[in-house]
Amino acid sequence: MALFTLNPLTRKKVNRFKSIRRGYYSFIIFTVLVLLSCVAEMLVNSRALVVHYNGEWFFPTYGAVIPGKKLGLDYDYETNYRDLEAKFEQEKDTGNFVILPPIPYNAFENDLRDGEYPPFPPSLETRHYLGTDTIGRDVAARLIYGFRTAIFFSLILLFVSYLIGVSIGAAMGYFGGLFDLLFQRIIEIWSNIPFLYVIMIVSSIMIPNFFTLIAIILVFGWIQMTWYMRTVTYKEKAREYVMAAKALGASNKRVIFNHILPNTVSIIVTFIPFSIANGIIALTSLDYLGFGLPPPTPSWGELLSQGSNNLESLWIVSSVIVAMTVVLVMVTFIGEAIREAFDPKKHTTYE
Amino acid sequence: MNKLFAHHRLVSALLMFACGLFSLSVAAKPQLPDNLQWLTNDEDPVFASDKAIKGGTIHDWLPSFPLTLRTVGPDSNGSFRPNIHGNQMQLVNTHPDTGKLIPGLATHWAYGDDQKTMYFKLNPQARWSDGKPVTPEDFAFTLDFMRSKEIVAPWYNNFFTTEVDKVIIFDDHTLAISSTKPRPQDELHVYTSENTRPIPRHFYKSLKGFVKKYNWKVVPNTGPYQISKIKKGKSITFKRKKDWWAADLKYYKNRFNVDKVKFTVIRDRNLAWEYFRKGKLDVFDLTLPLYWHEKARGDIFDKGYVHKLWFYTESPQASQGIWLNQDNEILKDKNVRLGIAHAFNIGKVNEQVLRGDYVLKNSISSGFGDFTNKDIRARKFDLAKADEYFSKAGWGQRGPDGIRVKDGKRLSLTTTYGYEAHTPRLVVLKEEFKRAGVEIKLRKLDGAASFKSVREKKHDIWWGALIGGRWPQYWGQFHSDNAHKPQTNNFTNTDDPQMDRLIGAFKSSTNTEQRVQLAHQIQQLIHDQSAWIAGLDVPYVRNAYWRWVRFPEVPGTRLLGSRAPYVFDYNGAFDVSDGGQLWIDPEIKKETLAARKQGKAFAPVTRIDTTYKVE
Repeated sequence: MALFTLNPLTRKKVNRFKSIRRGYYSFIIFTVLVLLSCVAEMLVNSRALVVHYNGEWFFPTYGAVIPGKKLGLDYDYETNYRDLEAKFEQEKDTGNFVILPPIPYNAFENDLRDGEYPPFPPSLETRHYLGTDTIGRDVAARLIYGFRTAIFFSLILLFVSYLIGVSIGAAMGYFGGLFDLLFQRIIEIWSNIPFLYVIMIVSSIMIPNFFTLIAIILVFGWIQMTWYMRTVTYKEKAREYVMAAKALGASNKRVIFNHILPNTVSIIVTFIPFSIANGIIALTSLDYLGFGLPPPTPSWGELLSQGSNNLESLWIVSSVIVAMTVVLVMVTFIGEAIREAFDPKKHTTYE
Repeated sequence: MNKLFAHHRLVSALLMFACGLFSLSVAAKPQLPDNLQWLTNDEDPVFASDKAIKGGTIHDWLPSFPLTLRTVGPDSNGSFRPNIHGNQMQLVNTHPDTGKLIPGLATHWAYGDDQKTMYFKLNPQARWSDGKPVTPEDFAFTLDFMRSKEIVAPWYNNFFTTEVDKVIIFDDHTLAISSTKPRPQDELHVYTSENTRPIPRHFYKSLKGFVKKYNWKVVPNTGPYQISKIKKGKSITFKRKKDWWAADLKYYKNRFNVDKVKFTVIRDRNLAWEYFRKGKLDVFDLTLPLYWHEKARGDIFDKGYVHKLWFYTESPQASQGIWLNQDNEILKDKNVRLGIAHAFNIGKVNEQVLRGDYVLKNSISSGFGDFTNKDIRARKFDLAKADEYFSKAGWGQRGPDGIRVKDGKRLSLTTTYGYEAHTPRLVVLKEEFKRAGVEIKLRKLDGAASFKSVREKKHDIWWGALIGGRWPQYWGQFHSDNAHKPQTNNFTNTDDPQMDRLIGAFKSSTNTEQRVQLAHQIQQLIHDQSAWIAGLDVPYVRNAYWRWVRFPEVPGTRLLGSRAPYVFDYNGAFDVSDGGQLWIDPEIKKETLAARKQGKAFAPVTRIDTTYKVE
């Protein structure tokens, strides 16, 4: 904090936020999780972290595929590092070794066996710590990569939808009159289009990818923010500082973005965590219904639907439900704490 | 994989358009040819058990209430229709074991010299459910009915003008029905009997407003059961006719034993399964591996209250596999297609995901008896061979991501499919293809949308199947007439003069032996060209039933399910052509229910019947 100085008001808010323990710790844990998920390839991957083979060092995690032949195996396709590890362990005294990530599976490969059929239960021995799904893919790997997809999905969605929603809402509140009236009606009509049906129709005729899915949800997702922004801008517009800015000859753009917006930031900030939670839920439910990201993308919704169809294999459904609950509860805690930190009244009780 | 497919396929198979649209169905005072040889069949074995007991009710379920009780017109093409059709008899039936014709509404039949016409003598006993006799007029009415615009069924309008020509009435019990073109003798009855079932003229006063007026009308039928009770949205009950006219005929005796068949609407399969476990349903389909292996466990199975049956059949299989679009730049090259065939690890999918339940397909026409070329063996998964073929095609190098490259292009192809339940299979195949250096992107569309997309040839690879008739058909899928254009079933865009010649000969030949020869050659050529790569067959039905449901010694028939290879509905109680062999034993039912109360156990039973398994 010493690197840059905050204005006293902000510092007060930060301190207030820190004093709300569960929100603050949730924030730390959540941030760590998101950062870790960025380097998930080093934690959950079928590729080894380090291979030492005949005096040569390999770091396969990022970069090109290393075919089996290069590491003394007899095939052209990508090396199976788990087999390689077993092989090196057998041939002792060669000095060759492999260091695998803690979870040595990627989210796509099928770990199938003869005479047994997936889903396989959790096992330390096979290093499937949360078991496998119905086609032998590691549940932990799919959970972690699914988390990464979901969180970045909702962050991008959040950013773009706030950009649109806040601008339009602020403009509505600031200009008022006919512009406001017109946009209110447009939004009312727009928000009456059944969102889920549109997604179903779109995804049955084309394959949505990460960005098209964001675009589709965005088409309807920007609306919510406009109402809040409109109201708050109306309120701020009547304040003296706006009049002063206008009197000094500031342009509309400058008034909105440089004067009004900073004063409404508490509204925006308090909504952010809840919007993140909504984004995760939206993606998960679309995947659950089969209208989300195309297979075999790892996703929570897909795991959830597998789990609910295979209740006998309890590890699938319980892993994803626990993960979802933990993440959503953390996000909600953060949200509550932020709201409280930004609340000018010191004592607020939530029911 | 629904009936729609068969539908489209037939549509596209219609080549000729009859010149005499709406020609008069009934000619004036026709004369019966004098050289007719009347045939009948009472020599084949019966396929019912004389131990059968009449009585009881079979409780079955429907996932949704039918949208109409009509069998033609809008919304009629649903999964409930076979139950109504199954109680509408044909002139002649196919014996479900021997495949030969047996009497139905007709006692005798004869073939005309023109190879288009079949003559029939109606059974004078044949009655509609309202007691009126079945007359040749009812068959003539079928044509008028099916050609009428009022029924709003363009497919039927078309079929009954371009495929079925006319009905000739000779007297009260003699008639002839002819097809528009010559057919092989074995197949003629499909057009003259199977599709031309009688429709009661006396019942339909006028067809005006048919679609609305007859939505929920119960039409008189000739089969063993008739709908007796409809609770809209909830259930439909069929009741056995007390004095069914055919009850004592050789091939119909001891069948159709239960008094009632009640279909209750249960909207969720998991829920229906719970109903079955409680004993509220008598039979349950276990064809899905998950049900047979995982769900069908527990007390009721261990204590022998519920038995499991796995019955192999020998019926025509769907042409399941992958269809490579040869108009695609990459797939144009035969060596690439051969490489793909060797990189297609369907064996692994079957053994390690599907529990080896399925049978690997070899020829595109498996399950067609003599027509199947049994010498064809599908190419095995073999990375060395795949590499050899890919290298020959110039795809020897691999890029940094392990995918093959050629002139800066990656060997990346998209597979289109339309069935959520197949995702696990494709996901495993995708990983196996990756080992061979081929990237497969999955494109899952909604069922109808995926079929539309491949009919427009917008695919690289299609994972799918066509359900055929009782004889193999090739024209729609492999003839150049249908290549390179939308709205046809030539999914591989096969355009090959030799193939055209063989298919032309196959289509026009009326000699069965010659057709068998040609079918073998065509299958070989399809295999050689490797634009269609063999997938999986499902030559069996599986179900679970409470032990009071009894079956004959051999609990099914050889050709069982030939009409619905993908729908798996085991019309155990029902279909007049091959079903109705089961019965309910009231003593055993009492005993079982008592035992269940006391917790007494019987020996668990899992029957695997391989009488008709093709090795």
